[in-house]
Amino acid sequence: MGDAPAPERTTARAPFAPWDRRDLPGMFDVAETARRVGNYKWAEMKLFEALGGWIATVPELDVKMRLGTHCYHHAWHAELWHKRLPELREMKPERLTQPANEAMVRFMDAMTEPEAPELTIEKLVGAYRVLIPRFIAAYTYHRNNTSEITDAPTIRSLTFILQDEIDDWRDGEMMLQSLISTEHDVERAAAHQARLEAIMVEAGGIAGPGTIGPTTVMNGGSPTTDSTTEGDA
Amino acid sequence: MRQFFPVEDLARDERFVQTNMAERMADTRVPGGGSQTSSKKASSRSSTNRLTPDRHDASDRARGLMHGIMVGEIQALEGAGRTAHDFDAGDGSGDTIPFALKLDMARQAWDEARHVEISAKLSAWMGTEIGEFQENTVLFEAACSNDPVLRLAGVNRALEGLAIDVFTQMKEFGDLAGDPYLEFCEDWMLADEVTHVKMGSDWLRKVTENDPERRSRALEFQQVVDKLFSFGGARGDTAESSFQLARRFRELAGFTDDEVDTIAELDEQALAERKAAVRAMNAASAAN
Repeated sequence: MGDAPAPERTTARAPFAPWDRRDLPGMFDVAETARRVGNYKWAEMKLFEALGGWIATVPELDVKMRLGTHCYHHAWHAELWHKRLPELREMKPERLTQPANEAMVRFMDAMTEPEAPELTIEKLVGAYRVLIPRFIAAYTYHRNNTSEITDAPTIRSLTFILQDEIDDWRDGEMMLQSLISTEHDVERAAAHQARLEAIMVEAGGIAGPGTIGPTTVMNGGSPTTDSTTEGDA
Repeated sequence: MRQFFPVEDLARDERFVQTNMAERMADTRVPGGGSQTSSKKASSRSSTNRLTPDRHDASDRARGLMHGIMVGEIQALEGAGRTAHDFDAGDGSGDTIPFALKLDMARQAWDEARHVEISAKLSAWMGTEIGEFQENTVLFEAACSNDPVLRLAGVNRALEGLAIDVFTQMKEFGDLAGDPYLEFCEDWMLADEVTHVKMGSDWLRKVTENDPERRSRALEFQQVVDKLFSFGGARGDTAESSFQLARRFRELAGFTDDEVDTIAELDEQALAERKAAVRAMNAASAAN
């Protein structure tokens, strides 16, 4: 000990630490990302407006308060997407704040139709058993397929938003389980869910067909989808 | 779902009993309630009408006030939610409001939801059951205007301004009563209310920047609501008032000194009108 020369220390390191496995390629170019983000913002706006409007229409005090809390969560998501759009070269965010297609408009109309105080189950089913699971799916697909380096700002927003969506979904599902107490309630919930789900399937998801990517395999193993406009990065 | 939602359709469970302003104010258990307007109520050993722990009726009055706060917060929650819903995002003209104002209203809905949670827990802590006192739905009525600027004036500036006064009083009551739990909660709610009033002040100025007539209509509406919610002078700068104007917090929330003075004058007018009404009522009953 003490006689051997100390190894020379160097500060030269690789740009990516050995544990940093992020990669450049992603499924979406800037234009496609902006299109999706615009669809997300439109849908988040419709959801926070619906939750805000329903507060006065539900007699259950705990549900009333949760709707108020969740109303803000989705407004914040809409705000994050609104702020992201100019960073994606869309200087007029309103231009891309659009539904994915006409079926999405019909979906929102059908989801927000229930107003009477005895329809709390229908209101919650639309938001928490149909729309929010679709958000979770769309955001998860986007987060897992966009470039981890070039699109890091979107990933950061998606990560925060997904945490909210999952927490809110759990709140909503638990409220529903506590409200659904008879066979008739079960039938009501299922019938309303089926009606809304059919329209959502027609829409292809929150960002339209391809919202969660191509899922069928044809001709030699390449996944295909009907009309996704994903770009190459 | 309809664009605008009438007050009579507000959804409540069977415990809630809704009433109008006159009936609510006839309830002697709440501050400012009852028909007596002298500086010292016959039933009170206190030297003023202020809610202080040494009053023999302090418990009932504090419980009544807290229940009133809770139902008020429910209506404020409903009102903020409706404003987030009822108007499309736009430039603020016609039936539109700026996108950022919609976001602020959603944020306010969350804040009001927390206030309902806080006041429900405080009510339980004070031994009150939901529905033990009647609910006056006039707050939501102020949130029902088809003009969003009137909602800002009536709810954010007038009613949330009143909340600043009430919470300041309740915070002080918690301090005097040696109830740190109450004082702590009121302190937090007060911070939110200052934010809401400031939000209302800022948006009112911004949205009516190029429309002085609309701003004037909104400020007139605010004065109507301020006077109505003076509860016949129960809120004001005089010793006869149950709770005082919280001038410092109102200043933080964007009120000018002149604006607070105007509210104080409205409170005095409301007190004088109430006294006159009580005198007339007593004279009529003496004549019978």
